[in-house]
Amino acid sequence: MSAGAARGGAVYDRGYRPYEGTRGRRGAATFALYKASMRRALGIRRSWRQKVAPFVLLGVVTIPAIVNVGVGYVTRDELFDDRIEIINYRDYVGVSSALLLFVALVAPDVICPDRRQHVLPLMFARPMTGVDYVFAKLGAIATIIFAFSFLPQVLLFVGNMLVSDGALDYFTGHLDVLWKVPLSIVLLAAYYAVVGVAISSLTDRRIVAGAAIIGLFLVTSIAAGIFVGDFEAEEGESVAALLNVLAMPLYLRDLVFLGHVDPESPLAGVSNGGLLAILTYTGILLLGVAVLLRRYRWVER
Amino acid sequence: MTGLIRPDGRLRPALETAPLLRIEGLTKRYPATTALDNLSVEVPRGRIGLVGANGAGKTTTFRLLLGLARATEGHIEVCGLDVARDPIAVRARLGYMPEHDCLPLDQTAADVVATFGELSGLPARAARQRASDILDLVGLDEARFRPIGGFSTGMRQRTKLAQAIVGDPELVLLDEPTAGLDPVGRDDMLALVARLGSFGISVLMATHLLDDVQKVCDYVVMIDAGRLVVAGATDSLLERTGTVTVDVGPSADVLVTALGRKNLPAHAIEGLVEVTVDGDAELDRLRDVIAELELPLYRLSTRLTSLDEVFLRRSEDSP
Repeated sequence: MSAGAARGGAVYDRGYRPYEGTRGRRGAATFALYKASMRRALGIRRSWRQKVAPFVLLGVVTIPAIVNVGVGYVTRDELFDDRIEIINYRDYVGVSSALLLFVALVAPDVICPDRRQHVLPLMFARPMTGVDYVFAKLGAIATIIFAFSFLPQVLLFVGNMLVSDGALDYFTGHLDVLWKVPLSIVLLAAYYAVVGVAISSLTDRRIVAGAAIIGLFLVTSIAAGIFVGDFEAEEGESVAALLNVLAMPLYLRDLVFLGHVDPESPLAGVSNGGLLAILTYTGILLLGVAVLLRRYRWVER
Repeated sequence: MTGLIRPDGRLRPALETAPLLRIEGLTKRYPATTALDNLSVEVPRGRIGLVGANGAGKTTTFRLLLGLARATEGHIEVCGLDVARDPIAVRARLGYMPEHDCLPLDQTAADVVATFGELSGLPARAARQRASDILDLVGLDEARFRPIGGFSTGMRQRTKLAQAIVGDPELVLLDEPTAGLDPVGRDDMLALVARLGSFGISVLMATHLLDDVQKVCDYVVMIDAGRLVVAGATDSLLERTGTVTVDVGPSADVLVTALGRKNLPAHAIEGLVEVTVDGDAELDRLRDVIAELELPLYRLSTRLTSLDEVFLRRSEDSP
């Protein structure tokens, strides 16, 4: 470059450079969509407004763990027969059902704009299929729900361990928690992700999808409550508890933690209640996936 | 089919020499209509115009090439790969720019193009680097961190083109790339399309604007009502008309009068003289008249048909 050009600046036409590196196929495309969906759900590379909801919710679901550990720390020198326990691991999985609000907010945001803004033809012009699309979106939502449910549990476990009289004793005494908590949360995350994404796939309007998700959970839990009351009064059984779509992963959580239906659960007293809960859970999951595969069967016959 | 593909995703040399498209007996029927009817054509690499009126079957052809629709009958090969057998491998080699709006409006151009680069199989770092380079190439370097929702129509078209080529495709399908653009934006877009050929990217441009095709395409496939009208190199389709255009400066009227006296039909149009000549003998007589009048001869050329004329005539001829 001449001195004159350096003083006055220069415009370079960098032209076009062919890509010579390695190139992935379906797996790479699916993983890329999974990452992009996670970023969108968490508000990453978006305005600060989009970041508020996920991280406020993460803060909210973490509060019980902080309070529990804090109380344990403050009372660590008191002579109690049993430690004061604000919340236990099983109940804490139930707190994660607060993530329903998050699902109602995020699942439509990750799904609906693709259809509304006609982005899907661009997606499916890439080396990926409708099945890849469905599992990338489901995976993204399920991963976030899992992370937001699991991180507070980790905080609770580590905090309890540190404020206990003997950290090693606490650890060895709660080994079952190390598989029961992740398994319960996997069941919860998969369920909410499938239901949320499947409902969102039925419309291209985010607000309609969000309202439908909340509505489904509220209406079925209220309906189940009404029917269970009647059944208890008349027959002492409450098979109608299975209508409660919101509580379904909690029935499975009880099976994981207790090995049977919780005696205080609305499902208690129903013969083979645990098996029925598993079948209903599986049925809802399969129905949701079937709806999604149908909605994104992109190849025209 | 994987044996035909190198680890970097490129085709083995045997396929690199294959025709760009080989379509045999392609038919696509819907319950109410036949979109494509026994279409057969073989197309070389380069810049190809897919021409037809609205509803001629252009978009259906694109959907079939992308493997997003199944042919009722027939066979398609893209770059030597069978679309029905391995649509994923075909799509890995294609870029696609739809006619309609298709961009997420709340994201920046850089994010959108990088994401589609990754979806095309590029590693994340390479996708972001290429997104930056490609947006620079299409003239959106300064706007790349702005949300697409604030873009003009021309900027959105450029972003659509950028996402189509970020994956370094062998063939890019452009559906009406100049739709909705003003004359300047249209010329800019056509200049970009013309440059793609020099990058080693073949182009299949669907349009009903024959003028666009004539400007940038070196091969034309014309379809009408799902049937092939004509296919061939653009130059070979632009036939000589038997009309000669002469530029003699401001003396056009003098020349027209003189040619009339010599029984050579001529008329002046916008300062030029158009003369109908039949064979070399009449062309010599035209030259002699200009010489006798001692007029300056700035240009003498044979006028070619336009693609519009070719399309209209061939459409009428086809069954």
